[in-house]
Amino acid sequence: MTSIDTVEALLENNEALQAAKTFLFQLADDDYITSFRGSEWLGLAPHIEEDVAFSSITQNTMGHAVLVYQTLEALGEAEADKLAHARPAGERLSSVYLEKPNGPGTYLDEPHYDWALAVIRLYLYETWKKIRLQTAARGSIRPVAAAAEKILMEQPYHLAHWKMWAVQLLDSTPEAKERLEERIAEAWREAGDMISFGGHGQTFLENGVTADSEEALQLRWLEEVRSVLPAPAELPLKEAGDGRRKEHGSDLDQALKTCSEVFTSDREAVW
Amino acid sequence: MTEENRNGSSFYQVYEVFSKKSASASFQLQFSLLAPNEEMAMMMAQENFMRREKVVDIWVVRRDHIRGMNPEEREMWTNRLDNKEYRTTKGYGYLRRKWREKEQDMLDEKEILSWKEVKKG
Amino acid sequence: MYNFIEHVNGSEPEAVEDEAKYAQFMERIENGEKIEADDWMPEEYRQTLIKLISMHGISEIMGALPEKEWVPKAPTLYRKLGIMAKVQDEMGHGQLLLRVAEDLMAPYGRSREDLMMDLLSGDLKFHNVFHMETRTWADAGVIGWLVDGAAIISQTNMLDASYGPYQRALQRICAEEVFHAQHGEAIVMALAEGTPEQKAMLQEAVDRWWPSLLMFFGPGSAETTGSSKQEVTTKYKIRKSSNEELRQAFLDKYLPRVFSLGLTIPDDTLRYDEEKEQWEYEQPDWNEFKQIIKNNGPRSAERLRLRELAYENNRWVRRALSNEPVVQA
Ligand SMILES: [Fe+2]
Ligand SMILES: [Fe+2]
Repeated sequence: MTSIDTVEALLENNEALQAAKTFLFQLADDDYITSFRGSEWLGLAPHIEEDVAFSSITQNTMGHAVLVYQTLEALGEAEADKLAHARPAGERLSSVYLEKPNGPGTYLDEPHYDWALAVIRLYLYETWKKIRLQTAARGSIRPVAAAAEKILMEQPYHLAHWKMWAVQLLDSTPEAKERLEERIAEAWREAGDMISFGGHGQTFLENGVTADSEEALQLRWLEEVRSVLPAPAELPLKEAGDGRRKEHGSDLDQALKTCSEVFTSDREAVW
Repeated sequence: MTEENRNGSSFYQVYEVFSKKSASASFQLQFSLLAPNEEMAMMMAQENFMRREKVVDIWVVRRDHIRGMNPEEREMWTNRLDNKEYRTTKGYGYLRRKWREKEQDMLDEKEILSWKEVKKG
Repeated sequence: MYNFIEHVNGSEPEAVEDEAKYAQFMERIENGEKIEADDWMPEEYRQTLIKLISMHGISEIMGALPEKEWVPKAPTLYRKLGIMAKVQDEMGHGQLLLRVAEDLMAPYGRSREDLMMDLLSGDLKFHNVFHMETRTWADAGVIGWLVDGAAIISQTNMLDASYGPYQRALQRICAEEVFHAQHGEAIVMALAEGTPEQKAMLQEAVDRWWPSLLMFFGPGSAETTGSSKQEVTTKYKIRKSSNEELRQAFLDKYLPRVFSLGLTIPDDTLRYDEEKEQWEYEQPDWNEFKQIIKNNGPRSAERLRLRELAYENNRWVRRALSNEPVVQA
């Protein structure tokens, strides 16, 4: 496979372009919804010190979404702010597992947020994010690889942060262990779409968007997370839907309504 | 008695020495020294590192009580993307021009810290 | 009002306290020396600092909540990032200040846990402005611009405070406030130069926040609410200026900026008296102020509920990782 070194060259190759864009949308939409859920947590973490630390990770993750949306903008898509704020749920490729609310209630009213969900979800996601970025960084499409390499610079401590929480809580009281195990079981019912390419795995590989097959990456993820969590040996299911195939539930509608509220009140205005 | 103690080797414990130059300054790492305990380390610290400079306070901390980053952590955890203008004044520099149009000054660090002194009423 | 204290538990300086030590302590303060956590200090000084700094710290934490309402809703990616960083800084200020207060409280065996309990029970008050609603995106701008502006005025006034740990925390805080000021002004500037709806939204927010901003610095004299102890803090060189001097400084710095954006202030009597060299303004309702800081403000209950939920829902996390073995109830 020949490598595609520039944005211009990628724009010339329609099949590779579409594959690259799909990969980037999956990544950016995941990071965007993840940082949205993170921003809802602000002020509600287990202690003040964690609130500050968590917020940096959330900001970085939003920064990654921005970087990838900007890459998409350079590939002919709308401007980053529109990609983030103006696309309806039916066009989004984010994982439904990441869209799931942080717990009962809303961030404004009675937020009964669950730290066990935050820890398990973010640990599972950051592990997948690392694997997916690493394979893109080794892929043959330079504009995609460059974005992946950049994000990989500051992503390791995000993963280390959530891994630390998972390891410490699993090794603490029976109460904590039980809460985490419940969330692990839930993830194995619902997180299947997060670690999938939505049927595009073969195209990603053939066009050099990724350097490895989807199956190999999923197995790498499974092996890595099972070295830390007491989790099943099979891959997670997709019982809550499949965001990669644009099958979302009302969670995403609610999230988008909130995060686009001011933007949509006047789309032409300068804010 | 362990082999180490027979030779008195555990006399040599590593202490990191921190000092403060003035009341408003933060503690700064100076260097490390060897001492058998913290009392001794404190005495040694004063003359080993502070004989030429004014200090107002000293800390000695046993090195193995410090959780530092290991080389891998330094490499993996300390990089940040250069995309954080939104949280620095750099990201808002354009305001200077806008305020000038309105015959007002920019609220920069110099201006804001000058508010320390307030007119007496 | 970061430097407004309602009342001080320790009452008058106890004459029984070692007079020689007291005289020496006052001499150090007069000489501009810094007092450290483990230095001898009069009980009144310690009590005043605990009261002042725990309220300052908890106000930063509670202050994150009104703005946070607009964090997920911020209208652009850049604004989302900016306001997230800004609110994070406020949590960070709370962290620094509570650490200073906690070290002062340690001799009484009191800690972070007690501060949170005091907040929830209503014993530890938080700043009047953070009991108010945030109705529109313009509120996010006005908070960053004017509420932070007022906070900057009162915090810079203590940059030379006699208590070393507080003074060093304030140095860090004020350096970050420069970004806060510019972040707030950036939001406000876009609205002021925007569509008629955006301008109206901004004016409405300024109108609504005006009385709270005047109240921010506390009453002008003790007679107004019968409870101000501002002179204690000046006696010990913690702050330099009076409530009214700070309020006047705020009006001096900010009113010209407000007017330059084409905004108005909802007070017909507002004028600058050239002779007295100060602003004349209509007094806000100080009885309302008293009610607000007694947790009877428009959003007091909801904001406290958020902290309570965070405290309750994360109890299992604290139990899981606390060093002491957990006693099962
Ligand atoms: Fe602050
Ligand atoms: Fe601030």
